[in-house]
Amino acid sequence: MIHYILKRFFLILPTFFGITLITFLIIQLAPGSPVSLKLLGPGGAGVRSDLISKEVIEQTKKLYGLDQPVYVQYGKWLKRLVTLDFGDSYKDHRPVSLKIREALPITLLLNIISIFLIYLISIPAGIFSAVHPESWMDKITTLLLFILYSLPSFWVAMILIIYLGGGEYLDLFPIAGIVSYGVETLPFWNQVGNLLWHLVLPVISLTYGGLAFLSRFSRAQLLEVIRQDFIRTARAKGLSESVVILKHGLRNALIPLVTLMGTLLPALIGGSVIIEQIFSIPGMGKLGFEAVLTRDYPVIMAIVAIEAFLTLISILITDILYVLIDPRISFEKVHQ
Amino acid sequence: MSRHNPFIKKRRCLFFLFLFLTLAACNVHVPKDTQTLVWHLGAEPDTLNPILATDVYASRIDSFIYETLLERDNETLAFKPKLAESWEASPDHLIFTFTLRPDLYWHDNIPLTVEDIIYSFQRIMDPKVDAPHLRVYYQDIKTVEKVSDKVVRFIFKKPYFMALEFCGGMPIVPKHLYDNGLHFNRHPTNRAPLGTGPYRFVRWNTGKDILLVRHEKYWGKKPDIRSIQFKVIAEDSVALQVLKKGELDLASLRPIQWVRQTDSKKFQEGFQKYEYYTPGYSFIGWNLRRPYFQDKRVRKALTHLINREAILKELNFGLGKLTTGPFYIEGPSYNHGVTLDPYDPETAKKILHEAGWEDHDNDGILDHEGIPFRFEFLIPSGRRFAEGLATIVKEDLSKVGIQVDINKLEWALFIQKLNDHTFDAVTLGWSFGFEQDPYQVWHSSQSDQGSNFVGFQNEKVDALIEKARVEFDLKSRSQMHQEIHSLIHEEQPYTFLFASPSLVALNRRFHNVKVYPIGLDPLEWTVGP
Repeated sequence: MIHYILKRFFLILPTFFGITLITFLIIQLAPGSPVSLKLLGPGGAGVRSDLISKEVIEQTKKLYGLDQPVYVQYGKWLKRLVTLDFGDSYKDHRPVSLKIREALPITLLLNIISIFLIYLISIPAGIFSAVHPESWMDKITTLLLFILYSLPSFWVAMILIIYLGGGEYLDLFPIAGIVSYGVETLPFWNQVGNLLWHLVLPVISLTYGGLAFLSRFSRAQLLEVIRQDFIRTARAKGLSESVVILKHGLRNALIPLVTLMGTLLPALIGGSVIIEQIFSIPGMGKLGFEAVLTRDYPVIMAIVAIEAFLTLISILITDILYVLIDPRISFEKVHQ
Repeated sequence: MSRHNPFIKKRRCLFFLFLFLTLAACNVHVPKDTQTLVWHLGAEPDTLNPILATDVYASRIDSFIYETLLERDNETLAFKPKLAESWEASPDHLIFTFTLRPDLYWHDNIPLTVEDIIYSFQRIMDPKVDAPHLRVYYQDIKTVEKVSDKVVRFIFKKPYFMALEFCGGMPIVPKHLYDNGLHFNRHPTNRAPLGTGPYRFVRWNTGKDILLVRHEKYWGKKPDIRSIQFKVIAEDSVALQVLKKGELDLASLRPIQWVRQTDSKKFQEGFQKYEYYTPGYSFIGWNLRRPYFQDKRVRKALTHLINREAILKELNFGLGKLTTGPFYIEGPSYNHGVTLDPYDPETAKKILHEAGWEDHDNDGILDHEGIPFRFEFLIPSGRRFAEGLATIVKEDLSKVGIQVDINKLEWALFIQKLNDHTFDAVTLGWSFGFEQDPYQVWHSSQSDQGSNFVGFQNEKVDALIEKARVEFDLKSRSQMHQEIHSLIHEEQPYTFLFASPSLVALNRRFHNVKVYPIGLDPLEWTVGP
């Protein structure tokens, strides 16, 4: 086991560097230069002609070290990475690590709450549907979840904002940011309340679309399991129905869920661009999206590197978890 | 079978009940401070260092914190003393001498001296400083020298009519904070600016808000508004909802919001809407390097084919003024004698015919010397106006046999194509200062490296631009500009569209609000109940 884990770990390193190298090349090959970030003006208004001249663009390139060959730039980036220094953002000259440290907690909080809610709602819904297959409740749940699944999140978010948070209809929830301005004047628990109050609409917008997949998934898994012989045996033993379903059925049905866990860790830190943009939440999604638009290479590379690392680690953890929860799988056999 | 389900439901109910109770039990509202002006920002500025900043948001905020030697009068737009109590230009317009006020202090009570001004100039010229956009304007200054503690002299290499604007408007940063060995581009003061102006910087919550508070020891007239908070809200439709809720006091409106979404009685009672024109215009630029756009008759015909009045009505709800040339429509350089080319497809067809563009091969597309009249219309993605415009232009031109292919590109690529001159036609808007030098956009020397990306070359215009650059009398300079205006209109390298107004809504709590060409001036507002 230890041997296997070590081997896997050493395989992660070249994969990781491969990912960063390819990303670096793709970013560099993509047309458009980071210098244009200086020109990203507000939507409708005009552009200042001085910002667009080639002379200014060339000087800025030189300043950012973009006049050097790509391999030199990548080498410099790697060298800095070893000391966990992601460099400075082109946009505002602040350290990338600081920008990520600012954005990450917000996104983590949002994602943890919404992923928790998705699991909390969809797994019981899936169980219910599996226990009463083809009943009218099953059909209604399925229909409802698929309708939710099909609604685009930007539309739902705007509708929620206008009807539940705007100034014209119901004004129940805040619609911009994650805490009120000046929240620090409130006592601690009121600050928490203020935060939760702000999170209601963004969390709803993030959650509703994710319900369908997971509930269908757990329904299908459970349906398959409860048709098997050992369930019949459990029932024959005279166990109560809830023990049969929850202990014998669900436990076995949820093993494939572990596979989903592998995507969970990277998904936690990748923010939702649309929801963060609409609700003015300065999280990872907005940071990454703006970095791509403005070709802010250091920020893009840092996010890619972190995501790649987390994905690789989660795949490894998933594999290890399999062995721990399912006695039928073992690494040792693979070696023999 | 169903015994466990109510259990799960009960637990879920309890959870929500708990959540609800937590929310209801504590007072989560933060009371509103009526003495604060809450101003919408569509995006967060990159930096508040006035030397590095390139965006409008930074300059808006900095205008309350930092001051310059001179400022423009709200009404006449003429320069008047600010940090400098007096100034003097040498007869040859090469030396500008400024005498500072005696009572100037930075917000940390350190006196502002000539050293700060010299330091700021040195930073602008420093190639390691991320300010090439500013540096291009200061190339012609030979030196900035100290005459005495309160007197500073700018010496230019050659005369230029905007010289006074450059020295008078040069951003001035505190040397005593910046000159401590830290790198200028990433200096902490960039995010905690310290100036001499009427407001003092308090805090910057990244991605959320920036707060300024009145500087009680300000040397000049103190404003009535106690503090200004700039709130970052990226989506303008959300910003409008926040405004309606009363959590914003001042926000810009899009034309559709101005016309359709802010006409309720409730809104009118709470807010006053203002409209003003700042210098700028939108246009369609024709790449003169392309065979079909080389003939000015063809460009004229294209202008006749584009129904600008209908476009203005359709896309901007009629908010805007049609323009015929490259100058500020409310300024002295604009030539009101130039008449607008009307929408007239028949004349256009005739002109195209004269220029040799006809459908020789009967494929439905005009051609001339074997070249079909078919071009790519480059527009930046995500800009509603450009998208609407491109569709209308495509439709209108197809009626006479000109095929337009719309190429919608992301901003970074869009700019690259402009600078590489690999486009046929493009739409964009320019914004500029009140004092305008057509050199960058229209002089032939700028067609390769500069902003003259359509490749406009005209000897007469070149000569006039050069002459106007050294003409210090506003009246005769404006005359030259007017002449340039009519020449450019004659040549039609652009189809000029319109100048769009700035549209804003302001809470009626604020009084004494006047609209100037320069915009609104919160420094003179008073706060009512």
